[in-house]
Amino acid sequence: MTAKAILTDTTRCTGCEKCVTACKQVNGLGPDQPRRWKLRIDDLSATRFTTIVRHDGQFVRQQCRHCVEPACVSACLVGAMRKLPEGPVVYDGDRCMGCRYCMMACPFEIPRYDWAAAVPYVRKCTLCAPRLAEGRIPACVEACPEQATIFGDRDALLAEARRRIRATPARYVPHVYGEDDVGGTSVLMISSVPLDFLAAGKVTDQPLPELTWAALSKVPPLALGVGGLMAGVFWITGRRMKLQAERLDREAPGGPDAAAGHGPDHESDQ
Amino acid sequence: MSSRERITKTMLWALVGVLAVVTVARFTRGLGAVTNLSDAAPWGLWIAFDVMAGVALAAGGFTLAAAVYIFRLERYRRFTRPAILTAFLGYVAVAVGLLYDLGLPWHIWHPLIYPQPHSVLFEVAMCVMLYLTVLALEFSPVMLEHPWFDRPGFRTAHRLLKRATIPLVIAGIMLSTLHQSSLGSLFLITPYRLHPLWYSPIIWVLFLVSAVGVGLMMVTLESYFSAWLFGHRLPREELAGLGGAASVVLLLYAGLRLGDLAWRHALGPALALSPAAALFWFELALSALVPGVLLAVPAVRRSRRGLGLSALMAVLGVIGYRFDVSIVAFARPAGAAYVPTWMELAVSAGIVSGALLVFIFFVEHLCVYPEAHAAPAPARAPRLDPFGVRPILPEALAAPRRYSLALVAGAAAALGFLPGAGALTGRPTPVPVSPVRMVEGAITTVGAASGHRFALVQTAALSGAETRRVWLMVIDGNRDGRLVVFPHDLHEQALGGDGSCVTCHHANLPFQRDTACAACHRDMYSHTDIFDHDAHTAALGGNAGCVRCHVNRDGPKTRATAIPCVDCHAGMELAGSRVRPELRLSGDAVGYVDAMHGLCVGCHEQRVKEEPAKHPADFARCRNCHRDVDGGALERLAPYRSVHGAAAGVRLGG
Repeated sequence: MTAKAILTDTTRCTGCEKCVTACKQVNGLGPDQPRRWKLRIDDLSATRFTTIVRHDGQFVRQQCRHCVEPACVSACLVGAMRKLPEGPVVYDGDRCMGCRYCMMACPFEIPRYDWAAAVPYVRKCTLCAPRLAEGRIPACVEACPEQATIFGDRDALLAEARRRIRATPARYVPHVYGEDDVGGTSVLMISSVPLDFLAAGKVTDQPLPELTWAALSKVPPLALGVGGLMAGVFWITGRRMKLQAERLDREAPGGPDAAAGHGPDHESDQ
Repeated sequence: MSSRERITKTMLWALVGVLAVVTVARFTRGLGAVTNLSDAAPWGLWIAFDVMAGVALAAGGFTLAAAVYIFRLERYRRFTRPAILTAFLGYVAVAVGLLYDLGLPWHIWHPLIYPQPHSVLFEVAMCVMLYLTVLALEFSPVMLEHPWFDRPGFRTAHRLLKRATIPLVIAGIMLSTLHQSSLGSLFLITPYRLHPLWYSPIIWVLFLVSAVGVGLMMVTLESYFSAWLFGHRLPREELAGLGGAASVVLLLYAGLRLGDLAWRHALGPALALSPAAALFWFELALSALVPGVLLAVPAVRRSRRGLGLSALMAVLGVIGYRFDVSIVAFARPAGAAYVPTWMELAVSAGIVSGALLVFIFFVEHLCVYPEAHAAPAPARAPRLDPFGVRPILPEALAAPRRYSLALVAGAAAALGFLPGAGALTGRPTPVPVSPVRMVEGAITTVGAASGHRFALVQTAALSGAETRRVWLMVIDGNRDGRLVVFPHDLHEQALGGDGSCVTCHHANLPFQRDTACAACHRDMYSHTDIFDHDAHTAALGGNAGCVRCHVNRDGPKTRATAIPCVDCHAGMELAGSRVRPELRLSGDAVGYVDAMHGLCVGCHEQRVKEEPAKHPADFARCRNCHRDVDGGALERLAPYRSVHGAAAGVRLGG
């Protein structure tokens, strides 16, 4: 299956939130409730996988970006987060330990936690992976009355996004958000206002998993190096002590018996 | 046992008692009820202190083991047993802390069956798991020395373990190097969220070096602690040696940290006048610069007070470093703060107390301090213990009872402080609905296609032939300034005049004829139970009155099987309403927002569908009523501002 994607054109969004309602229905999410851990009731939350935020007079739809090389997938130590070949980044609660490293790692601060539950899971947009498997399109896309958010092959949507920007350059920031950001995402966005505020900082094109892999790939040589070094030092110190003991032996007036306690006896205590 | 020992243990037991109660709350109510963690702060005190700082403080175990067994610095041998015990208990505390912090702690073993080797956290988990085993094996010979284990099987195990000391020590050093550094590598993936003064490509080196330094300082503090508690002699000469080594390591850490920033030309933010720079310098000075420089002076590290103070600073400073990286310097959305709850603090304190109690137990029963153990304990004269119940109880009963009392007192104190059940279940905070306000306004009909223009109060801007004055209803249930201006009169006209009230007003409270929406839908978001069972019981004559409503004497007496309210209160429910009958008079009023949306949106959608030509284009859209959707605080209040005659008028479809 070719990689699919969503293209959201914020200039077409009227902020009707039909996508939000559809998302809630499809995912069986309850009503949003004010919680002390939420800044605003219409923030992303365990009951709200997509939302519309007002920014600079534009309606901007916020949802999981489904990165091509997701930080959350690389962060998860039990593989509860997975990137499917057709695009979605999906979550498997049966594996999850609840360490919330995915929430720390996400550059877009997307994954949410069901803090109110005694058995909590990570909650986030699935790009409607179950619906995609049935050959249907994501519920939010289906619900959009203005075609502000559309679904299709990622390559085709990229071409469409570039075409729109070329056709009316005055209307858009000349950047397809998600084309290369953090290595590319499966949710593309074009906008009349800069959308950098959606990320925790000005993101570059470098996929985040590369950063940790650079350190992680050094682990085996580091481990062997440290182990070898310690074994070497142990041998050297032992040898030096042995030589010293022999020297004391020779020099001691009482002969070998007097220096018997000087050997490298690491078992003497403990 | 000295009274100092007894008082210390009593206090620790009290803290464990608090922990016991909070534990129940944590596992029955969930993280949200007990902690201040949030989507904005997924990692809090338990990760920063119990895990990040806990692992660093336990680094003394592998550092001392390396010094004594590998480098054969024999004069430090006296520290190895307490250091390894501290490390072992420290790592057990880390694991226990994790059980509290993990959302699904019964999945803690999942890394074993679902390995994901690209995750730094996977490597940390495996190393910590293995190192905990190594530490247990390293410490178990001390346990096996106890006379109770002087049996054939245990003697063999003891001999084998002693023979395995060097391989175990080397494995411990390897594992520690890996996971001490990898705890820093965890943050390599967050370049946009960790503040540039803390984010560094070599953060793993910084974590490792600072851990080695603070591990030595922790061994020092631990010597002070046992000297204070058990009356051991402080081995000043050896401690000064540790202090000298720590000075080198801490200064190396500070140098690496500053050098890295300079090398990457990132020293700018550190030299700026900002809270972040102040925190950076304070933390670096406390953790490394000041203790490092102090300990470099032989006179300081040989002085009891100088060494203790330096060690304390370094320990607090490195704890601060771990806190800064995982909480303080980690980006959060504006306005989101994280301050741990008392329950989070109680869990951390309780776990540390538990570990200390086990430490004291081991010191009392095993040979943790060989030189102190060899010397017979000085006989103490019995003396009056003002804090105890001992004088009035037989010896055998008095000692354990005191700790049980402390445990129970701590638990009772915790129970007293636990917030009420409502707050613990994580229910939403109630947002009571304020009644609508009627405001004098003016209305101008622009035309069927564009609807009407409204202004609150009066304004010259709306002068014109079609302008007339009306009463407008201002709907703002939670008084947050996001208003819906509702022309009640217009709706009444459109729906057919006097008889049309029931279209929307579907029910009255008993003995009322004009019940407002907010009278039943009393909370903005949550359902409200509007049926007062107690009042009904009282009015109907107590137990004798049950059957007045629960007419089926034998069946279950639930709300669903009771007779409808209208059987008695004929005037409550009104025929001909648009409100769906299945939602009516169950005694359960939905939240105000849902009630308003349910009523208005459905009707507006129907009108547009039936008579599209007669209604403006966005008649069934949110913006038809929410004219001021989050356009900034001032804009929201635009209707009010028109009092001053400004041109602003609010346009509504109607």
